[in-house]
Amino acid sequence: MSRAQGSSRQGIQCLADVQGQALVEDGADVVIIGSGAAGATAARVLTDAGLDVILVEEGAHIPTEQLRSDAYSSFKHLWRDMGFQVAEGRAFTPVLQGRAVGGTTVVNGAIIHRLPEPIYDLWAAEHAVDRSFGYRELTDIFDQLDKELHVGPAPDAVFGANNQLMQLGVEGIGAQGNRIRRNVKGCQGSAHCNQGCPTGRKQSMDVSYVPRALERGARLYAQCRAETIHSKSGRVSGVRGRFIDPVTRQKGPRFAFHGRRAVVLCASAIQTPQLLQANGFGRASQLVGERLQCHPGTGVVGVFDNPVKLSFGATQGFETTHFWHERMKFESVAMPLEFAAARLPGIGPELMHELESFNHLAIWGVQVRARALGSVHKSLFGAAKIQYDMLDSDIEILKLGVQRLIRMMFAAGARQVLPGVHGLPDRIDSPDEAERLFRLPNDPRLFHCIAAHLFGTAKLGLSKHSSVVDLNCQVHDAPGLYVFDSSVFPTNMGVNPQHSICALSWLMSERLASRRR
Amino acid sequence: MGFFEFEKRWLRSIFDCVIPSGASRVLPEGAADVPLEGFIEDLLAHAPAQFCLGMRACTWAITLAPLLVLGRPKTFHGLSREDQYRVLDVMRSSDIYLVREMPLLFKTIGCLGYGGLPRIQARLDIEPRDATDPEWARRGAKS
Repeated sequence: MSRAQGSSRQGIQCLADVQGQALVEDGADVVIIGSGAAGATAARVLTDAGLDVILVEEGAHIPTEQLRSDAYSSFKHLWRDMGFQVAEGRAFTPVLQGRAVGGTTVVNGAIIHRLPEPIYDLWAAEHAVDRSFGYRELTDIFDQLDKELHVGPAPDAVFGANNQLMQLGVEGIGAQGNRIRRNVKGCQGSAHCNQGCPTGRKQSMDVSYVPRALERGARLYAQCRAETIHSKSGRVSGVRGRFIDPVTRQKGPRFAFHGRRAVVLCASAIQTPQLLQANGFGRASQLVGERLQCHPGTGVVGVFDNPVKLSFGATQGFETTHFWHERMKFESVAMPLEFAAARLPGIGPELMHELESFNHLAIWGVQVRARALGSVHKSLFGAAKIQYDMLDSDIEILKLGVQRLIRMMFAAGARQVLPGVHGLPDRIDSPDEAERLFRLPNDPRLFHCIAAHLFGTAKLGLSKHSSVVDLNCQVHDAPGLYVFDSSVFPTNMGVNPQHSICALSWLMSERLASRRR
Repeated sequence: MGFFEFEKRWLRSIFDCVIPSGASRVLPEGAADVPLEGFIEDLLAHAPAQFCLGMRACTWAITLAPLLVLGRPKTFHGLSREDQYRVLDVMRSSDIYLVREMPLLFKTIGCLGYGGLPRIQARLDIEPRDATDPEWARRGAKS
């Protein structure tokens, strides 16, 4: 992954392309900050509607052929803060986000879900979302997204044993599961979704909507950090910032991009509120950066007699939403050796012995639709200060989820299960041993959770006193400034959010395109 | 964030203990047999400042842990390998969250470098996708 060269793709300019210039200036109808699910979809819709668009992305553009498969290279070039971004609470919880052209879609598991109707109903009842859009409108967009992003289950040839075993395990505890619907066109089963798809088959935004928007005239500026949002005659009219290599921190010229019609923030539920805070927007609600919600999750490892080979198959190919109403969802997850090794018990010879059995490991995870609310602010170091702590009730759900994972593992034929919970043995030999989980205190420090899927830090609603953006996702006190990412979601949703983020961005972009200046 | 040379030596000794050489027939190479210096250099040069600060604090804590864990006025670096395992085992079983997270941090970071090497993956019958070592390993091997 070379950073010294300029961008090879027409329409993309990165630091190397502009080095030496004093100021990079450009103007378009709409300036979009962020090129992930929300930003790229907005660019796709707006350019299709004939609008001129600039995309601003903090991360680099890494073409598929430059991706390396090792996890560290991926962390370094594709993940925010090299994967070391954490939320602080009683425990440190890694908060995983991509930082590259294509955003988190480059490194996620390609899992596609539609916004669950009960969540829409909740948003309608408590946040007046039904006054903005109906579920039917979203359904039509979901159908279109499915077609364009080649959504479907992994075929048998690349399904992989980790997924097959989970199917057995789910059925073995009397639940129903399904092959995951994924945005992958001709999956090769490389099990590398989280390191950036090495074959370019995953339809992440960098290989789908970003190129489509570029073909329709959009310009993308990569390695650009947006800092200030500027206004003219009481209306937001552009964004300023600086080219900076996020890996080497080498600085380049400043930029000023002017948006004749709008500036749209699609920078994620962590970065968008920081931009709003830094520029003093949304103060009336006192909700900017507050109400952070996510899906904390953890994994359980099973040791099987027959080879599983995590290095082959759809990274995340099987799931069950059978227990969704109990606020938990289960999915298979093929980890590379580097991640799986850290999850194994022991140090020294014990660890080396465990590593020998890598090809006999299966890994599945549970994610919790937690009720906890966190917050995001800028830290003294300039990075995000994320505070998040699961509630007791969330931890009780997590415990039940881990117990169910353990039962699934044994139901699928695991010889041993490595629960990875402090207070349980490193290895357990029967599902009954998992009952000890319920005698442990409700303490997040007993688990190794990650936080994925981030929501709510600039929520939408009717009033500027109870929400940050209005029902068209325009910031209440900033005409011309919009937020189309998951910051505006009033709550978490219990399923993977990429499709819902795309759909909301699509809907709001259509409205923006049809609105007169 | 730059580490002093002595701190890098401490780091190396912790990684060598976490991922030892000759402990497994399948994986005879340990951290000492791969160019992990290049990885450490690269990591410390690019990781966020807060992470590097935490890493430095943990390095010092483990280095000085033998006094508290074993009651011996020695650094981790100066212990026999068996005693080093004892120190890390006691720490990782601790009921104090921050204490038990320290060995885990080094295991996570060590495995991130070590496990990413095509030759280590090949020993575990994982078909490496990359023909060459990561950039840090090539740099580490040259130096």
